[in-house]
Amino acid sequence: MPVNRRKAAVLGGALILRLLLLLLFPSLPDLLTGRVEVSTPVTSFKRLQEGLFLYNRNVSPYDGGLFHQAPLLLPIFSLLPNAQEYPFPTALFYSLLDLLNANALITISDSAQAVSGRLYASIRKEITWDGAVIAAWFLFNPFTIATCLGRSTAVFTSTGILYALSAAVQGQSLNSMLALGLASYLSIYPALLFIPLVLLCYDRQAQRSNTTPSTALFVVKHFAVFLLSVAGLLGVSLLIVGDFARLVSATYGFHLLVPDLTPNIGLWWYFFIEIFDSFRDFFLGVFWLHLTAYAGSLTVRLRRQPLFVITSLLGIFAVFKPYPSIADASLYFALLPLYRHIFPLMRYTFFSVSALLYASLLGPAFYHLWIYAGSGNANFFYAITLVWSLGLSLIIADTIFAALRDEWELENPEKRGKTVKQV
Amino acid sequence: MASPAALPPLPFNPSRVRSYLLRLPLFTRLAVLVIIVFWLLELQTVWSVVQWGSLIPDEMGLSSMYRLNTYPLIHTGFFHTFINLLAVTPLLERFEAEHGTLTAIALFTGPLSTFPAGIYLLIEKFVLHSNTAVVGASVWAFLLLGSESIRTFKSNPYFILGKYKIPTWTSPLFACVLVWILVANTSFLGHLCSVLIGYLLGLGYLKVFVPPEKILRWIEGKLNLLGRLPHYVSVDQKTYGRYGVLPTAGAPAGERGTPMSFLGDDQMAAAIRKLRNNPHFLFVRLPYILSLLFIIAGVVWLFLLPLDEYSRKNYISENALLPGQVHAYFSGSEQHIFRGYKSELEGLLGTDSGEEVQRPKSEERTPVISDKIQSILKATGLKVATQNYEYTSSGITHQGENIYAIIQAPRGDATEAIVLVAAWETVDGELNLNGVTLALTLARYFKRWSLWSKDIIFVFPPDSKSGTQAWIDAYHDMQRASVQPLPLKSGALQGGLVIEYPLNHRFQNIHIVYDGVNGQLPNLDLFNTAVSIAGGQMGIGTRLQEMWEHDGSYEKRLQTMLRGMVKQGFGYATGAHSSFMPYHIDAITLQTQGIGWQDEMALGRTVEGLTRSLNNLLEHLHQSFFFYLLMQTHRFVSIGTYLPSAMLIAGNFTIMAIALWLRTGYSTNPFSDTAPGQGEKPDGMSQTASKDAGNISTTQNPSNKVIERQLALPLTLVIGLHLAGLIPLHIFNNTSHANYTSATYASVVVNTLLPLLLAGVLSQYRTTIQQIHLIKSVSLLLLGLFLSALATLNFSLSFMIGLLCAPLSFVNRITADTTPILRYALSIAGLFFLNILSPPVVLLAGCAYFGVSIETVLTEAAFGWDVWGMWTQVIIWCVWWPAWIVGAALVGVSLF
Repeated sequence: MPVNRRKAAVLGGALILRLLLLLLFPSLPDLLTGRVEVSTPVTSFKRLQEGLFLYNRNVSPYDGGLFHQAPLLLPIFSLLPNAQEYPFPTALFYSLLDLLNANALITISDSAQAVSGRLYASIRKEITWDGAVIAAWFLFNPFTIATCLGRSTAVFTSTGILYALSAAVQGQSLNSMLALGLASYLSIYPALLFIPLVLLCYDRQAQRSNTTPSTALFVVKHFAVFLLSVAGLLGVSLLIVGDFARLVSATYGFHLLVPDLTPNIGLWWYFFIEIFDSFRDFFLGVFWLHLTAYAGSLTVRLRRQPLFVITSLLGIFAVFKPYPSIADASLYFALLPLYRHIFPLMRYTFFSVSALLYASLLGPAFYHLWIYAGSGNANFFYAITLVWSLGLSLIIADTIFAALRDEWELENPEKRGKTVKQV
Repeated sequence: MASPAALPPLPFNPSRVRSYLLRLPLFTRLAVLVIIVFWLLELQTVWSVVQWGSLIPDEMGLSSMYRLNTYPLIHTGFFHTFINLLAVTPLLERFEAEHGTLTAIALFTGPLSTFPAGIYLLIEKFVLHSNTAVVGASVWAFLLLGSESIRTFKSNPYFILGKYKIPTWTSPLFACVLVWILVANTSFLGHLCSVLIGYLLGLGYLKVFVPPEKILRWIEGKLNLLGRLPHYVSVDQKTYGRYGVLPTAGAPAGERGTPMSFLGDDQMAAAIRKLRNNPHFLFVRLPYILSLLFIIAGVVWLFLLPLDEYSRKNYISENALLPGQVHAYFSGSEQHIFRGYKSELEGLLGTDSGEEVQRPKSEERTPVISDKIQSILKATGLKVATQNYEYTSSGITHQGENIYAIIQAPRGDATEAIVLVAAWETVDGELNLNGVTLALTLARYFKRWSLWSKDIIFVFPPDSKSGTQAWIDAYHDMQRASVQPLPLKSGALQGGLVIEYPLNHRFQNIHIVYDGVNGQLPNLDLFNTAVSIAGGQMGIGTRLQEMWEHDGSYEKRLQTMLRGMVKQGFGYATGAHSSFMPYHIDAITLQTQGIGWQDEMALGRTVEGLTRSLNNLLEHLHQSFFFYLLMQTHRFVSIGTYLPSAMLIAGNFTIMAIALWLRTGYSTNPFSDTAPGQGEKPDGMSQTASKDAGNISTTQNPSNKVIERQLALPLTLVIGLHLAGLIPLHIFNNTSHANYTSATYASVVVNTLLPLLLAGVLSQYRTTIQQIHLIKSVSLLLLGLFLSALATLNFSLSFMIGLLCAPLSFVNRITADTTPILRYALSIAGLFFLNILSPPVVLLAGCAYFGVSIETVLTEAAFGWDVWGMWTQVIIWCVWWPAWIVGAALVGVSLF
């Protein structure tokens, strides 16, 4: 592989920046690990350590009810030296993971699937950034850096999703399904990406072979691969944990039933604290239904751009997931620069970016007032998480609008750049 | 109307009302406006408009003739105004539309107001001999009704009711009677007079008073009133009038040729349209105006706070505190114990009792004294422990030994505790012998009571700056390596009291110090309890913020508030109590002050009362305010009232940032398609814009209005500068104290040169105007962001920094088309002015003003950073300084 100097500079710079931050501010990782914005109950590095401690002493990691992550993480981390005493190897490991993610992003960007796929080619396809810039957007995003230093295990899920995408755009649909299986195994929600992803694979397949294979067969085949990969990973997990029911209830049950209402940047915790217990099951169903509803509907509406559907879904997950963190937002912001060509069509960029900036400054401030200074209360922080979600959903809605407008302008070339009103 | 057939049409069509209102002619509008203005004026209480302008028969004289004209415009209240407006507007509109604006003005400001008034005066004064004042536009309403009724009479002389024929001209009289009966306080006579004049007008007897049409037409033509005034109705009924020829297609479209061409156009809408067509105003002028208004509003808001309307009286919110509800028994024989302890300690000082205060440094707490304190505490039966600590900051080592003792609660389970602190040295470095002795005496006294439900911890740190910090850190296991852990602990701390009695005589007042580190404040309930116990129960006056004399006047309140804000803004520890605040423990210091007749027993009783109140607490202090500004011991402003002030200041930066952002997003094209009547384009904008176009949108489709923003340079520069702020932050917190003075001067020099250097580099790389604007936009956006987030944490700091940064909204690169000499002069003056407001210069000026050396201030600041966890410096170097550098660099760019 020819060494691209710009890519090398970006990747190297990002690595150096991460290690430099670690060297200059040795207390930063522990600080970030404890932040609710970075660590959720399902991605917290502290909880992973707890599970690791139990695992290394041959106790079921799910004893004690703190650890809720996939069991396969445990053998990986038990290979690394203890992060408490030697933080450097872990930090290096996470930094390298970030670089891997960036590499996957570069592959996705180089395939140019974002601007022209099988069914659709944007009229603005010249306005793009190359892979190095997109990697830079990802690697120098403060949210990504905070996630990396905070050692959130959401990074593994991101890796799974990004590799699923990069394999899909390269036409390696089986690899893609395996990677998606890994991501879903780690934190269940990526399974919702299956439909657009399989369509992306299908499109690539059709594009390459210039034939259209049977859709149903293709989907069923890939669904089987996906299920098998999840089943295989669960099988390996069984070797580690033993008690299958325990494993499922502590990990996927925890994801699905949302028993831990530790504050996070999402919308669920406050709602489920406030709600009467008798309505809890109903609203749990409603919230999940709401989250899943997007996958199908967006796929139908934007059938011609499956990669864009996946991007938007990731943004929607970052808002409406039960335990979202800035890691999810950073994954969304990683894919967004691929759609450089629709940025000129967006209308509220400044407003929504400002809302996000305000939220990311005021959030920690209000959390401090609530938890540490004791002079604020939970509503302070919740109000800011609402602003954060508002900012994110504005960006999502705005990009979807821009993508639709882009499609529409392709169909109506005479209306380009003109104001139109939908009636 | 496309309403569904099934639905009946609305009886009232709002759009028709709207278009009617939008079509009101000029004089009617003016009259309505004046009436509303007078009504609004009447709302204030200083000057009675009604008294000034109403038609009062007895007040009439040569000098008050104006009343003959003003009375129709003035009303006595909202309903009077409203009803009269409702009645008079359609009539006036009709009159004006028929006769033209000029005629209407001539008649209504003249005869049609004065004649009814004259008749009324004659009858009221000379016939009835009474003195009823009249006001209101109803006179016009009846007058016009009268004249209308005559017209109706001419065409349609009778109503026919059954057999009776009623002449139509009587209808205003019926109305007059009806109004008189139905509405209270109406002047029947006044209405009658106006109806009479209305009849005369209708019959044409008043035609003499109408100015000749020729003259009016001449005036109209000469002044081109039709073209200039909106909604003007011409005198010339043949051409332009309501019943004349309708405007045809021949009239020049878009020109304000005919008064009726303004169909459906309000002045407001016109103003907005004008604004839209004037991007220079909208994007360039308006933000400056708004920003300035925001700053002014923020400052004015702050100065309003001390007024009674904005501040509130203090009150105790937590009922469990029950301040002053118990009798304090600390007196009598305890005084002997106090004297005994004091002489024991004094003896160890190795000095003859008396003037210790004069000798500053000789009374360090020797180990002998520490042992003595410990032995006294042990003799009382308390558990005693010590803790050694050491801090190094700016090359100075602070070390000492804390002694503390715990009274275990007879009625508690050691889960909660109250702290009493008596430092050997006060905050001002004075010997706190009385305070320490008092604490020892209180320890012995409290031990004998069986009513404590919380542990009471007595802490005796050697000084007020570092001792309590070391102790409280260790209490929560947050201490650093150089600080020993505590061997003895109790439960969660609920409150803290610090006793300072450095005087050697009886005192007058208790001075309550409450500011914590980083501007955090204790719960207002604790302060209120102290004030209420000292003042209400013990009869001791209380003071705050070193305001020894406070008469409750506006000036004193403002001064108190500003002093509090300065302390809060700097965020340093103002006493031993400040260290407790970060751990969410509410604490205050009680200092004695003045010469009076209160003795140590009175202070002791106050402390006893306070401790009893804290002992009553069922849960942590949470009821009352944590964010407040105190004006006086009994008045405060809460956060909801004062926060807008700092937010407005922070908002001014955001507004400017948004405006600049919008401005950079458009190329010249939208500016060029302004309305043709708008006159020449504003020069500055077109200059910048055309340059923009030249540099950036070369690849751009000319019809594309939106241009691409080049964000890479602005973002990198601004974020880089914010990170670069860490360098001075590091230097100023970590060098030796001897270097601080030179470091400050060095940073003044660097601050002068760095913007010039940046400006040189920026102009070297041919930075476009758009990028310059974007740099400013991003920088101001971040500044506004940081300041508004900061305002929720430390209001005063945010306010101060905001004010100091205020000029940054307004400085900009001076456009290249200014003559070079002027440009150089302006930019050098601007740079000079900005340099006066740079962080180190402000620091120097502040030090010079307060008469303290820079070294002291910076050593203290570094100590705060190292020991107290104070982050004022972070704000200064990572928020203020980068924004300042950007502002100065932008001015500097115009030099190159």
